[in-house]
Amino acid sequence: MIASRFPSLLAELRRLLGDDHLLANHSEMVVYECDGFTIEKNCPDVVCFPRHTADVQRIVQLCNEYDVPYLPRGAGTSLAGGCLPVGGGVLIVFTRMKAIEEINLRDRYAVVQPGVVNVWLTNALKGTGFHYAPDPSSQGACTIGGNVATNSGGPHTLKYGVTVNHVLGVEAVLTDGSVVRFGGPAEDYVGPDLVGLLVGSEGTLAVVTKVWVRLTRDPQAYRTMLGIFDSVDAATQAISEIIGQGIVPAALEMMDQGILIALEQAFQFGFPLDAQAILLIELDGLEAGLDEQRDRVVALCQAAGAREVRRADDPKERLKLWKCRKQAFGAIGRLSPSYCTQDGVVPRTKLPHIFRRITEIGETYGVRIVNVFHAGDGNIHPIVLFDERVPSQVKAALDASGEILEECIACGGSVTGEHGIGVEKIPFMAKLFTPGDLDVMARVRDAFNADGRLSPGKLLPTAAGCGAEHKPHGAAVPTVERSHPGRRAAL
Amino acid sequence: MHAFSAKPNPGAGIDYELFLDCVHCGLCTASCPTYVVTGNENDSPRGRIYLMRSVTDGRLPLNNQVREHLELCLDCRACETACPSGVQYGKLIEPFRIAMDQAHDGDRAPHDWFHKYVLFGLFPHPKRLRWALLPAKLAQRFGILRGMEKLGLMRMLPQRLRQLVYTLPEKLPSEPALPEFLPAIGRRRARVALFTGCVNDVMFRHTNWATARVLQQNGCDVIVPRDQACCGAIHFHAGASDPARRLVDANVKSFAEVDRVIVNVAGCGAMLKDIGHHWHDDAAADRTALAAKTRDINEFLDELGLIQPEGEINLTATYHDACHLGHAQKIREQPRKLLATIPGLKLVDLPETELCCGAAGTYNLTQPEMSAILSRRKLDNILSTGARAVLTANAGCLLQIAREARVRREPLWIAHPIDLLDLSYRKEKPPV
Amino acid sequence: MIAAPPKTLPLSEIYTPATQADLAETVRAAYAARTPIYPLGGGTALSYGLAAKMPGWGLSTASLNKVVDYPARDLTITVEAGITIAELQKVLAAEGQHLPVDVAQPDVATLGGAIAVNMSGPRRYGHGTLRDYVIGITAVDGRGQEFHAGGRVVKNVAGYDFCKLLVGSLGTLAVVTQLTLKVKPVPMSAAWLAVDTTTFEQAEITLAAVAASRTTPTAVEFLAGSGWNGEADDIGGELSESAGRVLIGFEGTAAETGWITSKLQEELSGPQRMRVFAEGAASAALLARLTSFGCEASSAASPLVLKCNVRPSRLMELVAEVRKLFPSAGLLAHAANGILLVRFDGTSTIHDIAKSLLGVLQPLASKCGGQCVVWNSPAPEDLTRAVCWGPARESDVALRRVKQTFDPHGILNPGRFIY
Repeated sequence: MIASRFPSLLAELRRLLGDDHLLANHSEMVVYECDGFTIEKNCPDVVCFPRHTADVQRIVQLCNEYDVPYLPRGAGTSLAGGCLPVGGGVLIVFTRMKAIEEINLRDRYAVVQPGVVNVWLTNALKGTGFHYAPDPSSQGACTIGGNVATNSGGPHTLKYGVTVNHVLGVEAVLTDGSVVRFGGPAEDYVGPDLVGLLVGSEGTLAVVTKVWVRLTRDPQAYRTMLGIFDSVDAATQAISEIIGQGIVPAALEMMDQGILIALEQAFQFGFPLDAQAILLIELDGLEAGLDEQRDRVVALCQAAGAREVRRADDPKERLKLWKCRKQAFGAIGRLSPSYCTQDGVVPRTKLPHIFRRITEIGETYGVRIVNVFHAGDGNIHPIVLFDERVPSQVKAALDASGEILEECIACGGSVTGEHGIGVEKIPFMAKLFTPGDLDVMARVRDAFNADGRLSPGKLLPTAAGCGAEHKPHGAAVPTVERSHPGRRAAL
Repeated sequence: MHAFSAKPNPGAGIDYELFLDCVHCGLCTASCPTYVVTGNENDSPRGRIYLMRSVTDGRLPLNNQVREHLELCLDCRACETACPSGVQYGKLIEPFRIAMDQAHDGDRAPHDWFHKYVLFGLFPHPKRLRWALLPAKLAQRFGILRGMEKLGLMRMLPQRLRQLVYTLPEKLPSEPALPEFLPAIGRRRARVALFTGCVNDVMFRHTNWATARVLQQNGCDVIVPRDQACCGAIHFHAGASDPARRLVDANVKSFAEVDRVIVNVAGCGAMLKDIGHHWHDDAAADRTALAAKTRDINEFLDELGLIQPEGEINLTATYHDACHLGHAQKIREQPRKLLATIPGLKLVDLPETELCCGAAGTYNLTQPEMSAILSRRKLDNILSTGARAVLTANAGCLLQIAREARVRREPLWIAHPIDLLDLSYRKEKPPV
Repeated sequence: MIAAPPKTLPLSEIYTPATQADLAETVRAAYAARTPIYPLGGGTALSYGLAAKMPGWGLSTASLNKVVDYPARDLTITVEAGITIAELQKVLAAEGQHLPVDVAQPDVATLGGAIAVNMSGPRRYGHGTLRDYVIGITAVDGRGQEFHAGGRVVKNVAGYDFCKLLVGSLGTLAVVTQLTLKVKPVPMSAAWLAVDTTTFEQAEITLAAVAASRTTPTAVEFLAGSGWNGEADDIGGELSESAGRVLIGFEGTAAETGWITSKLQEELSGPQRMRVFAEGAASAALLARLTSFGCEASSAASPLVLKCNVRPSRLMELVAEVRKLFPSAGLLAHAANGILLVRFDGTSTIHDIAKSLLGVLQPLASKCGGQCVVWNSPAPEDLTRAVCWGPARESDVALRRVKQTFDPHGILNPGRFIY
């Protein structure tokens, strides 16, 4: 930012928002220097809390006028640095645009502002017989706007699909300052699916200010089971068998012994701590068909070597079990001062293989790795434990994580199933995509975000290669000084 | 790193590992009442921990902005419930605020007249408080408060005092003090001491009586030590550590002879259960012993096994989880289980029951704006259930919700779960 | 194989590249020569959209019909875009799996073509549309640049989601060459229930009840108007011209379909007469019949067809208006999704209906949350942009920018969509 013009931008923003909806002193902006990904930090120059779309529009216009980068942020639960203000500038925080504007059960949609916390919508729908299906593990805190940006998943997306499958339309402020609606409450608007493009674009194409989401009928019944295994290999075999038999449970999660110990400390659920792995399997649907399906799943688990398949059908027990599962990442704090959660994906038939490789990689680098997987869709979350105060451990953790992701790519998988690329995974983009692929992506980004002021340094590498942030042509975005102790230690 | 001040860093005495427990995942944010209202990360648990850690690290000065965000914390500990990493937030914010007050920059007096004369001078002393409230009581009886309100005279009182007057219950109770000993009814199953509290014994003496009677009904000899003191929470949470310790040590002495100390105010219970690690001196072990024998009344009756009450109470009620019971003491199921035994009672779920009502000890007096927002939200949620009675096991919540209902002229009955249990044992009906 | 010679397209040549690389090469040549390219799949939807006016090359995917990889135990398949829907389903059926998206004329329609027009049918209510199944895509943009997005795993958020973007892009952004799909196991049984309704209000009550049902229908269709009574047994018996019929399709295990049947009868108990009429093979025949409605483009008498998309609760309002304006048309709605197809008899032309379309139907559809477009026209040259695609939308500006990015010389299907 051209320093001399900053006071006048600030004055304009103040005039727009008033002092109550803006933070501009350093002491109050420090908390916005990072999100759930803490390895890199950078303080924004000003934090705005828009109250409605018109505020967002004006903020974007001002950023254009003053040639300043800007970035939307929801609850800041990204694990990939999606909310890191790489170029400083204006952080647009959506926590005050949190209204559920409409719930229409007959037409099965709701209209929400981006700052609505995922679980608030679920709560608002309680008792209606409908729910909003995407249930990321952070749903108690993360916002739907953030979910749209990263195309969030969650345990139950195995059967019901991820965020993009449940978004009908968005209203967005484009980088030219116009407000545009894409899609809407009906289905099948003609032409290319721009809603599908915007979902998961990690805030690099437009700033979403309203979302039309699909509501899903609640299942009539559940069958929840815990498959207890004496070896991780047997558990991953069982997953492969279940899917291979054409059974798609509502959710199919795996937790290894390391994570079980942490969860047991946190929630005292009563997990068998001598088990090497547990499968959390949930079937849902019509009561009439569920017992039959459960029997098949139980038989498959047993054939794969399950020690026991325990039922967890009691609604209270079921809720507690899901709470344990969803808070698994956080519970790692009990095992280690720092951790790095990875988010790879492999074809489901490759789960036994990838798990064996993860164990080997952990041994090679001398780091402890615990695992909690969205096993049913091949989305693995190896969690590498380390102490951020010990540089050699930081390096080992990052190297091990990198090698696991390389292995995912080698298996025909991906380096992110739900957390997004953010700043964290940029170096992998060139490994996952060809220069031609990246060129098309960069052109699309430029079509929406030609000056590169919106969310600079995210999602895509520059043509020069990995790691470097997007340096937009034409714009006077300052050279970004980034602090990344973790990566620096690793290099 | 820069040293911003020559004064001791407020984070200096805090075990740094407690900061490191926070992995910055953000799952706590939406559980925090102040963050839900302001949407400002600085008003979230994750943000406050970040602020405290930044001050401790010397990255940030302890300026007024930082102070304000830390002071806005209700200390309701909802974040501890939400935190999967087991961050002990209370152990960070409480000592930090104490140190913050001691290291004040001189730009603000740490304990002004209100703290000195009202919070510390009056509240912890039931006798003084009763005397002080006598004019209010008389004023109530003769409708003078209502009149003052109508004439706008109330506005002449300082704001926080006005808050206090507004918070007073409609009718101050006039029961006699509890005797020192109440014998068990039927087979004797336990011998317990009752902690009567300070504000509680003035405003809710009827609940103390109800608690004693319910304990008797359940075969308990009840001892009410005359020389017991305030639990010290008001001082401690306002950063006055030494007076708090003196009160605690007085209680260690008063309750030395019994095995169980029964508390019916969640805030006091949480304090008594926590006293073991606040001060590291010779008496720490004795305090730990008192903490270990402290039980909330709901928790105790559930452990003991409740004798089924028989009086039918046909009422739809909802239960509000007091923060210091639910979040701080993790007591959520027990009161619901006890209430479920009352014949005829229909207990309905309260939306956002885990969200603080805004009372939070003396928070409603020190942060009236945020408190009022939360209180409004709480009553809205209560009204949405259609219940005619709200039950909650903490004096602060009872006063706060009652006040909100009174202001909005909602005819709700607001009571302690034990009040209702007592009515059922006595085969009497609630006033709704 | 192209079902009907694309007489509607001004083609100087038809290229049928043998490989994806050859296809990219051809597009590069066209890009250099600024020659329009008209991608050709099975040719079943060529009369959707405006007439092509600029002469150019046909680019057929007929030779790109290989199964690249089918790890059946992963429930995914990777195929080239020129594979026909029938061939794809046959390969999947060998493993007890299928792609649960209904595409008309499956013997000739290709997967790439179905994606270009976002083809769907009755089961979209229970299974979603193609956008929910494409997890990886390879395509060639208007510069001849081959690119891919997504991958072969069912969950993946790396990079922009071009898999979604290209669904329904009408061949205007890129020529799709290869796809990876999520697939599902074939359900064990299926059945249909019919409820006849005599008024639009009654139909809406039935549809609202189905939307709130505890059961899990996979299809909720509404039939009215003409053209249904040939082989009327397929659709549950003769349908009187003045009435409408709600057809509810469901699938699952025998126990599930049995329960649904009785539960629906309980939930919809009213004055209507409800009956189960199609199971097993009859169910499949009905599904095929409903799927082909309005997609008879390559048959001798290609009818004029409109497609409307509205909020489901407003569907009957639109139906009422259509019945009033065009009493002789046939109607099929994927009612729970708010999609309505209006099929005119062989003699109606766009000139006969243009006024009502522009003046009544398009504004009404827009008021009901959606659009009304021409889905099939025997004489595309008679269409104007406003008639065919309806009024401009806010998002068109952004769309044009995207078009410019993928196809800077505007050589892909020029003039057929809004740009």
